[in-house]
Amino acid sequence: MVSDVYLFIFNISISVENEMMMLILIILHWLIALLLSPFLLGVISKVKAFFAGRVGPSLFQPYYDLSKLFQKSAVYSQTTTWVFRAAPVVALASALLLVLVIPLGGLDAPLKFQGDIFLVAYILALARFFMIAASFDTGFSMEAMGASREAFFACLSELVLFMNFITLALLTRSISLSQMIGADSPLSWSHLGPTLLLVVASLFVVLLAENCRIPIDDPDTHLELTMIHEVMILDHSGVDLAYMTYAAALKFLIFATVLVPILSGWTGVFIKDMSIYITGLLGLAIVVGIVESSMARLRLNRVRNLLLIAFVLAFFGFIVTMWRG
Amino acid sequence: MEHIFQHSWQVPFGEVSLKLDPLSLIFLLAVSILVVSAGLYGVGYMRLYRGARPVGMHIFFYLLLALALVVVITANNVILFLGAWEVMTVATYFLIVFNDEKAATRKAGFLYLIATHCGVFCLFLMFFLMSHISGSMNFDAIARTSFSPVVAGTIFCLALLGFGIKAGLLPFHIWLPHAHPAAPSHISALLSGVAIKTGIYGICRILWIMGALPDWCAYVLLIMGVVSGVMGVLYALGQHELKKLLAYHSIENIGIIVLGLGVGSLGRGHQMPFLTVIGFGGALLHVFNHSLFKGLLFLGAGAVIQKTRTGEMDRMGGLSKVMPLVSVLFLVGALAICGLPLFNGFISEFIIFFGLFQGLIHLPLPGAAACALGILALALMGALALACFTKVYGTVFLGRSRRAGEPVMPGDPSRWMTIPMLILAGSCVWIGLAPETMGRIAFSGGEYIAHLDSSRFNLDQVMAPLSGVIGGAFVFLALGSLLIFLRRFLLRRLSVPVNETWACGFSQVTPRFQYSSASFAYSIVNFVKALLLSRRHGGQLDTIFPGKAHVSSSVHDAAEESMFRPLLSRLGGVSKILDDNQVRHTQWYLMYIFLFLIFLLAWKMR
Repeated sequence: MVSDVYLFIFNISISVENEMMMLILIILHWLIALLLSPFLLGVISKVKAFFAGRVGPSLFQPYYDLSKLFQKSAVYSQTTTWVFRAAPVVALASALLLVLVIPLGGLDAPLKFQGDIFLVAYILALARFFMIAASFDTGFSMEAMGASREAFFACLSELVLFMNFITLALLTRSISLSQMIGADSPLSWSHLGPTLLLVVASLFVVLLAENCRIPIDDPDTHLELTMIHEVMILDHSGVDLAYMTYAAALKFLIFATVLVPILSGWTGVFIKDMSIYITGLLGLAIVVGIVESSMARLRLNRVRNLLLIAFVLAFFGFIVTMWRG
Repeated sequence: MEHIFQHSWQVPFGEVSLKLDPLSLIFLLAVSILVVSAGLYGVGYMRLYRGARPVGMHIFFYLLLALALVVVITANNVILFLGAWEVMTVATYFLIVFNDEKAATRKAGFLYLIATHCGVFCLFLMFFLMSHISGSMNFDAIARTSFSPVVAGTIFCLALLGFGIKAGLLPFHIWLPHAHPAAPSHISALLSGVAIKTGIYGICRILWIMGALPDWCAYVLLIMGVVSGVMGVLYALGQHELKKLLAYHSIENIGIIVLGLGVGSLGRGHQMPFLTVIGFGGALLHVFNHSLFKGLLFLGAGAVIQKTRTGEMDRMGGLSKVMPLVSVLFLVGALAICGLPLFNGFISEFIIFFGLFQGLIHLPLPGAAACALGILALALMGALALACFTKVYGTVFLGRSRRAGEPVMPGDPSRWMTIPMLILAGSCVWIGLAPETMGRIAFSGGEYIAHLDSSRFNLDQVMAPLSGVIGGAFVFLALGSLLIFLRRFLLRRLSVPVNETWACGFSQVTPRFQYSSASFAYSIVNFVKALLLSRRHGGQLDTIFPGKAHVSSSVHDAAEESMFRPLLSRLGGVSKILDDNQVRHTQWYLMYIFLFLIFLLAWKMR
């Protein structure tokens, strides 16, 4: 039966054996992503606490927060419509779909094809559309103010993302994410060092921007006027907020997962790859924590400059690639 | 795959020769679906005017336009094509000026008439050149002639100018944002959905006729596409008026289509059949898709404007509670135009992206760099369109009403108006989730333009990834429904209170607290203000204690204000001087004629 569904949906006929493998792969992907992603946020806040000289919350605090939110009821504003309630569902569903497009450690991406990068970019955009619409739906200026910034910065970070896609496509002669980030065959740092360094640097800025980290946005700020992402979800509560928070955690995991294989590449041995992957993720979380502790949030009208710098870095990567042919 | 209908016609060089080929097929499909749905919608929409305005004349010109569109798309003869083109232009003019009691409408109609006739002038020159060299007025015969590169380049430029004016390519678009808001909404839908696409059809037909064009033509197309696309969406973002915003979005989508045509031409120049077909096919599919979602959006805008009696987005708000069905259908159109997965816009943008990346990887340097530019532009257009349509949907349908005075009557419009929108929205979802059928039709159109047959390459290279996309879409839908059920399950025993919006401690929040469309777009518009001629008046506090303040902002069209207005006023000055030198005596003119005859005689005797 499942193979019929597969034939219908993916237009690929697969044997029963493969089909079971595929199902297991999909479920494993979701399990790993759902279990691991809140932990990364825990690591970041632990690092920040360490630099601030505090003990900080437990590494598992994000799990407690999520389970608390999942048990709570939601309050809805009388102004809102179904769009407001759709936003958390769309956000979490799109994050879970994206988990299937990326390779997790030694696990291949279950959904990979030439051109899956467009699906990644536009599924992110779909979630953003509903988040912005939901913030208009509350009928108050603060949410839409954050949404306006989100829409603007997204334009710039989308440009940076695609500039990097261009460079990686030229390097690997492929437009499938798994191959482009070197998960299928490793990118050689000895050959492509300078280009890859530029790509990693600009993708790191995109990671900070898309996940609302300092210096672009402060997830812990308490002044609504200066927030971007946090102010957009001001009116969401209970289960809806849990969905949103989980989606944000998954998004961080997805962006970090894109960076890790570029940095190291896989060996082909499952256990080794998995440990490289998890070490890489933790390493990135620690780096993000260090960046957050050592910098202040940029003034809002400076954020665009940072994103433009990231674009310039990516553009140099492109020039170097083109020049080498 | 060609069906030709031939009949003699008592017009010099003219023959009634109609041809249905894969290229006209896709345009004809778009025309049929839009003429029917906009027509049905018009029945409901024009009720308001019955008895007060000449509705009969409107219906006559509507049907005439439909006929002219079909003939333009199927004509196989230059004279027939130009005749139908003129009929189309004039019929459109009378449809636009339906509300001619308003000065702005008359002005918009006049601008349209002048602009399109400038275009027709170029088309006359172009077709004259083509027929003169090939010695025939028949498209098939002209297509068999080979042209020298210089002539081919000239023909291409004339086509780009003549058809570009009709299609609304930047910077020849200035008639478009005036004409679309002035016309009744179903006419705007038809204008934007198919009438401007005849310009694209013309460019495609020329690409088909000319065969191999000089290499630079592909770059010109690609860059024109990029400029129109990016500037179109930036202008759209700065608009406050719903239909004007949608009109600028048509310019953006024309840009995407021309970008696709540019990719196809690049592929043809480099003898890469796969790239050629992807580029042309993607562009043709986007033609069809844009007809669907832009038609839908204009019909939705018409319903909104008829309900609120204003086109100003900052006077609207909360309409999704007033018109639930229209709001859902408009959302479908908005998601589709942003190119988001599950809807048809994504499919054609995916194919064009795919082609651009193929070009990037496989073409030598200048081509690869042009493709990189195209990719960045398309990505930017996507992000900006998203900002633009969240702004539209958010300010018009969500939140609370910003309206001063009595609230609007709740209720969706009549079925005459909603069913056509349902048809269009359904088609958007259909292509979004099952692109196979329309994709094949578009690709066969692409093959036809390039004179290729499908045995030379494997289309599954792009069809297989598309099925991956569809797979992803279905997984997404399944996940979405699962999450909805999970939420319902988690909330089943808890009470779910409904309260006011949390307003950060403010009490007595009025609807005027809401972000307006102008403030939402401000951060982006301000960033690119050098390109946009954006102006702001007021809003500065000049006293210590703030009193009443007023701020207004507007975005002006740079092409109109800094290019055409000075140019035309200079032209007006020159004509004034000529006019002043006129001697108003009949004898003088008789003498002019006599002198001219002597000149002709001398020239002939030489």
